[in-house]
Amino acid sequence: MGRYILRRSLLGVGTLLLVMFVLHLLTTFAIQLNGNPALAFFGEKVPTKSQLAAVEARFGLDDPCYDQTGNPCLGPFVERLGQYAQGDFGTNLRGREVTDIVATAAPNTLKLFLVVTIVWFVLGMGLGTAAARRRDRSADHGIRLTSVLIDAFPIFVLLLVYRYVFAVPLSGWAEDTFGEGSLPALWFRPSFDDDHPWATLLVPGILLGLAGSAAFIRLVRASQLESYAGDHVRTARSRGLNERHVVTHHVIRNSAVPVVTAVGLTFTEALAGAVVTEGMMNIYGMGGVLWEAVRAADVALILGIVTILAAVTVVVMLVVDIAYAALDPRIRYA
Amino acid sequence: MGRRAAVAATATAVALVLASCSGGGGGNDDEGDGGGGGGGSDPDATLNLALSQDVETLLPMDSNVGDNISVLDVVYDGLVRYDPETTEPYNYVAESVETEDNTVWTIKIKPDLTFQNGEPVDADAFARAWNYAAYGPNAMANNYFFERITGYEEMQGETDDDGNVTKEPEADTLSGLKVVDPQTLEVTLTGPFAGFGTMLGYTGFFPIAQECLDDIEACAVQPIGNGPFQVEKWDQGVGLTATRWEDYTLEETPEYGAIEWTEYTGEDNWPDFEAGNLDFAVPPPAEQQAAAGDPDLQERYVEGPGAALTYMAFPLYKDGPWKDVEFRKAISLAVDRQGIIDALLPSQRVPADSWVVPDVVPGGTGGTCEWCAFDPDAAKAALEKAGGWPDGEKLTIHLGQDATEQELFKAVGDSIQETLGIPYELDATPDYFARRGARDFSGPFRANWFPDYPLNENYLAPVYASGDAKNGNVEFGYYSADFEAAVKAGDEAATLDEAVAQYQEAEKILATDFPTIPLFVAQNTYYYSENVSNVVLDPFSGEPKLRLLEVTNG
Repeated sequence: MGRYILRRSLLGVGTLLLVMFVLHLLTTFAIQLNGNPALAFFGEKVPTKSQLAAVEARFGLDDPCYDQTGNPCLGPFVERLGQYAQGDFGTNLRGREVTDIVATAAPNTLKLFLVVTIVWFVLGMGLGTAAARRRDRSADHGIRLTSVLIDAFPIFVLLLVYRYVFAVPLSGWAEDTFGEGSLPALWFRPSFDDDHPWATLLVPGILLGLAGSAAFIRLVRASQLESYAGDHVRTARSRGLNERHVVTHHVIRNSAVPVVTAVGLTFTEALAGAVVTEGMMNIYGMGGVLWEAVRAADVALILGIVTILAAVTVVVMLVVDIAYAALDPRIRYA
Repeated sequence: MGRRAAVAATATAVALVLASCSGGGGGNDDEGDGGGGGGGSDPDATLNLALSQDVETLLPMDSNVGDNISVLDVVYDGLVRYDPETTEPYNYVAESVETEDNTVWTIKIKPDLTFQNGEPVDADAFARAWNYAAYGPNAMANNYFFERITGYEEMQGETDDDGNVTKEPEADTLSGLKVVDPQTLEVTLTGPFAGFGTMLGYTGFFPIAQECLDDIEACAVQPIGNGPFQVEKWDQGVGLTATRWEDYTLEETPEYGAIEWTEYTGEDNWPDFEAGNLDFAVPPPAEQQAAAGDPDLQERYVEGPGAALTYMAFPLYKDGPWKDVEFRKAISLAVDRQGIIDALLPSQRVPADSWVVPDVVPGGTGGTCEWCAFDPDAAKAALEKAGGWPDGEKLTIHLGQDATEQELFKAVGDSIQETLGIPYELDATPDYFARRGARDFSGPFRANWFPDYPLNENYLAPVYASGDAKNGNVEFGYYSADFEAAVKAGDEAATLDEAVAQYQEAEKILATDFPTIPLFVAQNTYYYSENVSNVVLDPFSGEPKLRLLEVTNG
């Protein structure tokens, strides 16, 4: 197991370095081909050369390699790696530390993800298990139909309908019934409120979780059906174990491997969903920050945030791989 | 984001929110208004404003986005402020602003004014801010405002084409700035400019405290102002709180107690307004009909003219049919401005028929553009006179990547195509500014101008005057000796009124040369909640005057 973890970790680090390098190349070529992002600072004004140079220096874009199309700019890349290694992720266009921005934004995204994950598990495991146990009965059909319906509503539709149709009357009703500033009134606030992060993240989190849960429900169902048909389940039953024990120990556990994999994959999907959710619900989170950074051509911020997100993704994948191996010993020897 | 782009974008984004927050005391229904003091405001009322997340700094020298400006307008006081009716400047922190030749200006500052940290607001406070802003290597966004002051050039240094510094700046202070005594500042300009007194109320000219200069980075997020509100806390990206400064001595201060800004990623805060968390908002296009049909909301609706002018410019530096004024006329006459607005953005734009927007700056009058009305027959005639459009070619219209503007310019292109039969394509480029600066456009392009200070000169000289007879201005290659002479005559005029009249002459030259086509003027609209009253939109910025608002705890 130790060697397996080591191998996976090294692979993870390699992947991360590769991602960073590709990211660096892409931004470098984008700067070389598209022109100077420092110009974004001046908007409609045409800056003098010295003003431009001063701003370039401020954003670390003053290396001459950025003016030579095709030059991979390895110098600045190595320099940046060194800075990252020391925990220095640079500053955004206005000199604010990227780490400071992340420190403000990440907790909100993590809270959102926690809600999302709980919703996945409750819906996915609950409904998926129920459907598998009652295969081909009306409950099963109902759950499968529901999962198709969920798929038909992408997250932005859910949020749009929620904000414009439900949130306003619901929050009005909650305020009238429970009083202004009461917990139910906060639940239905149309936008995130930093003073009450948990309460105002709950509904967006549930919706984002709901939107991502359909594939999960079907996966859990399919993988449990496979287990139900397995020899080991028949053996367990024939030994006279009660059904509850069979389901929890032999069906659910054995069907967990593909589900855990899916958590890893869906995590990256949720990250994309978080960009939408955070944007629409005005949550100051990683997705929203990245969105704004791209819009404002804030190169240093984009690099910093994407690197951090890539690192998180690599870590999640690593955890998934390890969980995988823990659940199924065959994998670590493969 | 540059100032103009941002202003256009945030015209709708800026909304004021009155927190019907948890804590607050008071009755629920109607005006609780138990507090004395009059004025219609509760002294403990909190006004919550929505800000765009574009705000990255609150350093006056570095703030040129609409939203920073609206925050700084209550945190700092300038030498002059602008009349909400006429936008003309009047002395505020300044006791007097005098000049005899428009070149040497003597500014007397009112005595005994202090910053919120107790430091005096004196001539030094202004000089240190202006010197810092004018020093090139500091890369302040408002640097260019100081180019008219003697000694500016020496503070810029030089760089070669690759951006390497070839010469360090020779000076770190403006030689044209002299602190005569603590209350007197003498400013020498490089040449006469009648509008200098008008510029003094702009954010970039606010004073800063020595404590601020000593730690600029701290001051950028925690300003030390001299205005009626002081910033308590700014969680960047999340929200900003300002409370009333009790020791404020000047007269223009509102009665309510605090302002809370919530930062928004986009412009979509209408549901928050509807839910009672916001005081001011603009509905998104899809909700406009519903809002317009709500009689209750209509009572709390305010609109006013905006200052942003959208126009179409031509690459006059490149050969093409557009070099012929008749062709440009034809294009202008072919655009059904009113029809486009009615179909796409009713009440958010008005057709433009002048190069200086009327009613928002002194000297702005409508109707100076003779060929800005939709007239298909005249358009066809003009095109014929210009020799027509080359067969088989497409007219490329360049613009940035803003969804609303793309829709608008698609309609403009359709209008041209329908009237003149010129096929067109839109080129929405993410590198609009870089390409424009590099003269990389092969057809007409969208441009937008939001003035920096309320004077008609600002719509003219910065856009059209370059002093470069050979190449013309960078953006579109226009040059007119007559135009530059008229601007110069305005700069040298004895009084501001005469200057304004001279600048109007300059606008008339544009009307003849017709280098650009005025298209649309932004219109500012807001809905507001029951908690605020005395809503006055500043005709210049288009935003509610926070100092005039009356706020109660709803």
